[in-house]
Amino acid sequence: MAIKSLSPGRGVNSRGVNGRDAAERRAAIRMTAPSLVLMALVAAVPIGYALWLSLHQYSVRTAGLSRFVGLENYITALSGPHWWAAFGQTFLFAGLSVSLELVLGTAMALLLNLAFKGRALLRTVVLLPYAVVTVVSAITWETMFAPNLGLVTNVLTTLGLPGGDVVWLGEHGYAMAVIVLADVWKTTPFAALIILAGLQVISAETYEAAELDGASKWQAFAHITLPLLRPAIVLAAIFRTMDALRVFDLPFVLTRGANGTESMSMLAYTQLRENRLVGEGSALSILTFLTVMAVSVVYIRFAGGNIREVAKEEQ
Amino acid sequence: MDLIRPSSPLQEDTAPSQAVARTTALHGSSRRRPRAVIAVAAAAMAAGLLLSGCGGGAATPGAENAAAADPALAAGASGSINICGGKDASGIYKGTAEAFTTASGKVTAKYTEIGATTDEARTQAVQRLEGKSTECDIFLTDVIWTSEFASQGWLLDQTKLVEANMDRLIPSTVETAKYEDKYWASPFFTNAGLVYYQKDKVAKPETWQQLYAEAAKAPGNSFVYQGKQYEGLTVNFLEMLYSAGGEVLDGQGEVAIDSPETREVLDFMSQGLEDGSAERAVLTYNEDPARLAYESGNYGYQRNWPHVYRLLNATPMAGTFGVAPLPAWEGGKASGVLGGWNLAISAHSTNQAGAVAFIDFATAPDWQKHVAMDFSQAPVNEAAYSEAAVLAKMPFATELLASVKGAKPRPISPVYPQISQAIYKNVYAVLSGAASTEDAVKSMAEEIRTAKASF
Repeated sequence: MAIKSLSPGRGVNSRGVNGRDAAERRAAIRMTAPSLVLMALVAAVPIGYALWLSLHQYSVRTAGLSRFVGLENYITALSGPHWWAAFGQTFLFAGLSVSLELVLGTAMALLLNLAFKGRALLRTVVLLPYAVVTVVSAITWETMFAPNLGLVTNVLTTLGLPGGDVVWLGEHGYAMAVIVLADVWKTTPFAALIILAGLQVISAETYEAAELDGASKWQAFAHITLPLLRPAIVLAAIFRTMDALRVFDLPFVLTRGANGTESMSMLAYTQLRENRLVGEGSALSILTFLTVMAVSVVYIRFAGGNIREVAKEEQ
Repeated sequence: MDLIRPSSPLQEDTAPSQAVARTTALHGSSRRRPRAVIAVAAAAMAAGLLLSGCGGGAATPGAENAAAADPALAAGASGSINICGGKDASGIYKGTAEAFTTASGKVTAKYTEIGATTDEARTQAVQRLEGKSTECDIFLTDVIWTSEFASQGWLLDQTKLVEANMDRLIPSTVETAKYEDKYWASPFFTNAGLVYYQKDKVAKPETWQQLYAEAAKAPGNSFVYQGKQYEGLTVNFLEMLYSAGGEVLDGQGEVAIDSPETREVLDFMSQGLEDGSAERAVLTYNEDPARLAYESGNYGYQRNWPHVYRLLNATPMAGTFGVAPLPAWEGGKASGVLGGWNLAISAHSTNQAGAVAFIDFATAPDWQKHVAMDFSQAPVNEAAYSEAAVLAKMPFATELLASVKGAKPRPISPVYPQISQAIYKNVYAVLSGAASTEDAVKSMAEEIRTAKASF
């Protein structure tokens, strides 16, 4: 990757190979080698190792006994119902939570971008939910949605609103709603911060020009703010989607995967840790990894194009 | 990514060599000598495959040829021993180690906490045992870990030791340490479910049917138990299944859960949720939420562990509730599921004599009294339950003993975690209305068969 990003500017010239050019390329390789090795150590080694494990089965009966099974672990996972159920549930979760986070994050960023007293302080304060450890916030949400005793159920009952008698974490649909809510609460500030950074690079002159041309506030928002914000929103979407597809702690604490909330990572964890099925669990980890990779590639291909277009337009 | 350590050092070597192959391949694409690179990569891959082949063949000795602990060793014990286990909430582990050190005069015991939760302690124990660490001489093992650890050859065979101590141990508790006709641990303290009931509203339950019928009579009478999708639901379900005469695995270890008893119990439990014998809220409860709900005073019965007694007594409810052993199934008997912790000697212990001496001390009737008196845990020695000092501290000792004696271990298998998942996930599906009893029983049996077929 690092080498590639160095070369585009000189790609055409380097075709006619001359001594200086080759020497320069060697120097480039030497200079990037340490970071490449580092990247290999942090990323490639663990992934390669997991891949290796996933092609084997490790006996749960006899210590040290293992056998090479090729793609059997993958075939078992892909032909059974559990992987696909988790796959669907994870995507449902990611779709719901990321869309909500982007909408709310944009709104929050617009508010934080207004000039008012104490703005700096507020910008710090809104990040607080993001600073809370997810497991801790999950336990808090679990307590709040507890039947009969929970804060939410009690408030709903007292106000005579529907939902007070719902066993939130014990019903299909409701359980997912609580998990999505917990995630939105926690990570909207993160999305807002990225989008806020995008807002701040839009120059005031653009708006002034629009105003002179007689554009309404809404028109300015729809035709200036949103298109120029797109790179920031896409960036937030990529980060959040990748995170959401790997969700583990929220369903683990809130439902243990019951009521249609078992995520891909939870499934892998159960096989690896609880059942010590190292090969099978590694295959699930690799499948999760591939899924997340595929989604990021799609994002960068399609939405990334937008980033380039916008960048060009800006120039 | 959370990966478990490799079980064979040979396989560990293959990972870097493969990684080298991968990185060289990456470099290669921008270089001009791809052929050499491919050759190197191919060689590395081949070496990797070769190594894995070796790793695959070599298995370390398992349960069949494990070394045995000799009870006679205790007499000449000296040096120090290290006991490893989870969080010492009641202080019993440290307390026993200290008392043993004082009493022994020759052996020093210390307790090392290797995990805050049961799951964490298991992971830590597994890592040490897989790595052949000599750090721990004794592991505190949850009763459901025995067969898994024993089959891996991680534990010392304690058959002689247990047989020598048999007369002082409650038979049901010894069963939890048994795997393939040998004993792999000694029970330290046990645990069994109890029913707490509000004396002013409901009567002491004799049968589950009576309990459920009474619970359905008024909203304030209903029954709270642990119905969340987790290990606790397996326990709650098996308590009923065992008393109804059903079982998970039969005497030969074959899957026996596809039975009329399983269907009867599942129908009974889900009917209970419809009739109001139990609220749907129980589907979100593990031990603590169940206790907290019961403390609100809006319930008639609670199934929970003995430790809840002390907590309930610290609330305004003190004196209003009674404690009963788990009820019988109508036309059947009373049964239950054993919990508790065993003492297993690591196969890599460097002081087996010290470990044997410690176990002798910890399971002796004298110390078992203190297990109840000082730490409020259920002794594995029957006589301890009738001691006046114990009864003063645990007025429900008689009921607890009844529950313990009638209880059975959970299915004994090296793949117990998978078996338990098959049970609690399918039971949950029935209770939550996501699956019919018939479908759930079928898939439960199927999943347990798959689990048993694990490599």
